[in-house]
Amino acid sequence: MRIYRLGAAFAFATVLSFSLTSPAQTKQPSKPSTAATENQARDLSGVWFDDRPRPVTTNERYWNLKFNAEEPPMTAWGEAQYKAAKSSFGTKAYPLAETNDPLYHTCTPPGLPRIYLHPFPMQVVQTPGEVIVLFEYDSIRHQIFTDGRAHDTTLGPLWMGDSIGHWEGDTLVTDTVNFNDKTWLDRIGHPHSDALHVVERFRRKDHEHLLVVITIEDPKAYTKAWTTQIEFGLRPKWTLAEQFCEDEESFQSMDKDAAAPAK
Amino acid sequence: MRKCTLGIALAFAIILSCWPTLTAQTKQESAASKGPSSDQSHDLSGVWFDDHPRLITVQQRYWAYTFTPEAPPMTAWAQSKFDAAKPSFGPHAHPLMESTDPLYHTCAPIGFPIAFLYPLPMQIVQTPGEVIMLFEFDSLRHQIFTDGRPHDTTLGPLWMGDSIGHWEGDTLVTDTVNFNDKTWLDRLGHPHSEALHVVERIRRIDHDHLVDDITIDDPKAYTKPWTAHLPFVLKPKWTLAEMFCEDEQSFQTMDKDAAAPAK
Repeated sequence: MRIYRLGAAFAFATVLSFSLTSPAQTKQPSKPSTAATENQARDLSGVWFDDRPRPVTTNERYWNLKFNAEEPPMTAWGEAQYKAAKSSFGTKAYPLAETNDPLYHTCTPPGLPRIYLHPFPMQVVQTPGEVIVLFEYDSIRHQIFTDGRAHDTTLGPLWMGDSIGHWEGDTLVTDTVNFNDKTWLDRIGHPHSDALHVVERFRRKDHEHLLVVITIEDPKAYTKAWTTQIEFGLRPKWTLAEQFCEDEESFQSMDKDAAAPAK
Repeated sequence: MRKCTLGIALAFAIILSCWPTLTAQTKQESAASKGPSSDQSHDLSGVWFDDHPRLITVQQRYWAYTFTPEAPPMTAWAQSKFDAAKPSFGPHAHPLMESTDPLYHTCAPIGFPIAFLYPLPMQIVQTPGEVIMLFEFDSLRHQIFTDGRPHDTTLGPLWMGDSIGHWEGDTLVTDTVNFNDKTWLDRLGHPHSEALHVVERIRRIDHDHLVDDITIDDPKAYTKPWTAHLPFVLKPKWTLAEMFCEDEQSFQTMDKDAAAPAK
């Protein structure tokens, strides 16, 4: 029964998202999306972009550097790691040649949840057993299995972790573990260990807005679990472009994009 | 009208793809999927794996490193590039440290269509305006726009090219241009230029089998267009794993996989 319901939800979603391709029809069909039907609300698909306000000063512009304006509750280990980090972003930015940001020079994946802080769009696609978040940045994929499977503990430590999810009403609740400890949690060097546990709650507040509430738990790095939220706006006319991390050049153009005003 | 038809096709496809999870029903319904309805055959979704026979000698196992058993019709320019290439695969394999394969040491994106030659699965997901091939290898995306848009000539040269597609009956015909010339066409070092033009004809011949007939046209490198035939088999119980090119280690693991017998 669950399978059929999912199928119907997706079919509905598909018909809805067609309406986006023809502007004349957009107004009318987008209305039912605010209705409370559960099937329909389980459609997160579309191209999304961070919709938070773009403040002017570097201090205020924390949103693409770290998750919250205030510091997360670090353990002594977390604090020591953070102090040793030489980020090329933020208020105490180091020149590119001096940074020890793990992405630089090697172009390794940014990992989850840091990927959300890179100022590029993401696209959600859904299949009956998966919700897949495709990030424009470095062609990264955040693949969430919603078919009821458990975590696969045979997988080694992963850059993006092992993600499973289930629906609670209109909210997709994900659970991600099995991380490696090679990435920073954010772009200014807050750390995480391989005990990192990320819970995301994805909810489409209305047709054009997606709220992602992220809870970070990592007893080695943080004294308690803490939460952040990012609101995304639908970009019906956008598609993901090709963007690969190739060398430091990639980062310089990203920084320029980040400084640009909101679209 | 076309929009509605596609929506129904996708809905049908989704319901169909639920069946492998219900083993008891699989047989009955997969018979239905062989019917001639063109709506239904617009569904390419699923996890697919190379379906070439697993032959024993390196020469017979051409499909793991090149597209056709015979050499493609090279121009003089291409022949000299090919003669200079030092691949680490195939009958004239060089040791890793001596290889001039552009992937080694830099982990640059592998490009298209060479992405098909890595012995890892790929997953097709469909949205109303796109067919997206997700490669397990290095999280690559081959994103084909099927919403009727023309090529975007403002995009710079790309690693994966700019792909558009349309349906001809049950066949998805794709057209990809806008390539950079930094990649090899295959793992033996056959070259391509920025003039590379790839046309694919992708068809699900039955529920469990997909073929991609790829035509390579590049007047700088080849004296005439030539075609490769790539067979794929559905792996209903597989999902894509995380696999990022990090260093030479990644390639050694892959080579071991390629040598393994067929599953």
